[in-house]
Amino acid sequence: MTIASFITKNALRNKRRALLCVLSVAVSLFLLVTLQVALREVTLPPEDVGAALRVVVRNKISISSPLPARQRAVIERIPGVEAVSPFSFFGGKYRNEESMSFAQFAMDPKLLRKIFGEAKMPENQYAAFEADQTACILGKVTADKYRLKVGDRVPLTSTLYPCSIELKIAGIYEGTIDDRNLLFHHKYLDEAGGSPGWVAMWWVKVRSVEEMPRVTEAINRAFASSSAEVRAETERAFQLSFVAMWGNIKIMVHSICTVVVFTLVLVTASTMSMAIRERFRELAVLKALGYRRRELFAFILAESFGLAALGAIIGIGTAWTLFTHASIAKLTQGIFLTFEVTPRIIGQAALVAASLGIIASLAPSIAVARMSVVEGLKTLD
Amino acid sequence: MSAPPVVVIQETSKIYQQGEINVIALDRVSLTIRGGEFLSLMGPSGSGKSTLLHIVAGVDRPTSGECCVRGIDLKRLNESELADWRNQNVGFVFQAFNLIPVLTAYENVELPLLLTRLRGKARRTQVNTALELVGLADRRNHLPRQLSGGQEQRVAIARALVTDPPLMVADEPTGNLDSQSAHDVLTILQALSRSAGKTVILVTHDPKAAAFGTRTVHLEKGQLLN
Repeated sequence: MTIASFITKNALRNKRRALLCVLSVAVSLFLLVTLQVALREVTLPPEDVGAALRVVVRNKISISSPLPARQRAVIERIPGVEAVSPFSFFGGKYRNEESMSFAQFAMDPKLLRKIFGEAKMPENQYAAFEADQTACILGKVTADKYRLKVGDRVPLTSTLYPCSIELKIAGIYEGTIDDRNLLFHHKYLDEAGGSPGWVAMWWVKVRSVEEMPRVTEAINRAFASSSAEVRAETERAFQLSFVAMWGNIKIMVHSICTVVVFTLVLVTASTMSMAIRERFRELAVLKALGYRRRELFAFILAESFGLAALGAIIGIGTAWTLFTHASIAKLTQGIFLTFEVTPRIIGQAALVAASLGIIASLAPSIAVARMSVVEGLKTLD
Repeated sequence: MSAPPVVVIQETSKIYQQGEINVIALDRVSLTIRGGEFLSLMGPSGSGKSTLLHIVAGVDRPTSGECCVRGIDLKRLNESELADWRNQNVGFVFQAFNLIPVLTAYENVELPLLLTRLRGKARRTQVNTALELVGLADRRNHLPRQLSGGQEQRVAIARALVTDPPLMVADEPTGNLDSQSAHDVLTILQALSRSAGKTVILVTHDPKAAAFGTRTVHLEKGQLLN
């Protein structure tokens, strides 16, 4: 017999309790990992190369205040600027749906490849999109969700503009960070929406990363003290400002995580306390045989740590396997796309499990350390 | 010529505090036990015999007085040193056997050896020898629940002697056994004293059990009667 086999036999002496304890740790850590992964996805700013070269220009007062279309020519003349496209959110509801299930943006189709180069689509579909003012392109996730294909029509009723439009799908793209959106001609929006000469934002492609700070500064300066002052920032900064709006969600998710961890500590500590209290007499016998406090503490710690580790392997392992191999986009109907279990999240969950093992063993260890052999031997089985 | 003293107790008292009342469990007891002696400690319940046994075995400390075992004053040892000392010098046999229920007879006997440097074949030899001495070599893979009370107590004796300690303490080891099993257990303890030269201290209520010893002392109200 080895010390390890002795600890294992002790840990598994009440198999049902050990199993329930392991499962409670596993389920809680699965939930913890899921929440962390979901939070990461909704707050993740784009990191791709294209994003590093894009500047988003919006009204300085508010994102809901429009910008005059005449600004385009001014921005285009700024050195370092490669392309400028209007970019307006349509806010349309698809068919008879009660709420908006995917986003639609009006933009300049000719500049699509220049500004959003990461979108992958056959050449003929690009051409078809550019040629037809009522055409649109749709992200693959949304196309799959609604089983839409090239040539199908997409009726949309706007919640922002006083109009309904019907677009013909010219292409289906993929490869962007968010393959859910629909893009269509800004000219069509100008005509249908009844407010030509105004755009929601400008998306600007800059020639090189080195020129980004200067171009951003130049755009801001170009419209300073005008009737429509702008705020130009990198796409990453723009997305982060959205992330900031998720503040309350972050607090809520962190609160849930804290409650999960706290409950888990209580459950595991209570299980360990029960398991050790039942064995007080045996531990007193071990003390009488010559086992020291530190050895008994090591036994309890190893048992507690082992149960927590097993739960962690099952919980984190299941989350990793599920989120890595299952099609999360399909399962969540396109709400989540990557749902990546990063090494950092695995590390955090493992750290929680390790802390749990240690904390749960503390109270029983202290009780055993304080117990005298004589008192322990008097304990009833 | 008589053997040198193994246990020397001088003016030893043990007082327990229960609320505001002091309960005197041992009252200035002095006793010398020689090597190879089989001492039977008798007395009514609450007379202090188990307390005396615990002090000699190093699991309890006296309130005053001295307890030297093989020349070592146990009062001078700290908790950790006392644990090591118990592992090397004392074999315990309890009334309730106190075997670990999830371990086989072999593993229960092996338990004190996990603390020693003994490894592999040497350890196996020692455990098997101890089990053979108590006549349970063929039950080595049985769990405690698969053994009779007498067999359990014999496993406990094997566990007590597996480290070859000079001192064996038995606290009413026959209290839970039928007369035949009790006889078997006492015969083993007697043989250990006679043939292996172990010093055995037996706490018992039963005069028949006490008769297995080479000397009997009586305790009453914490004091030695003779």
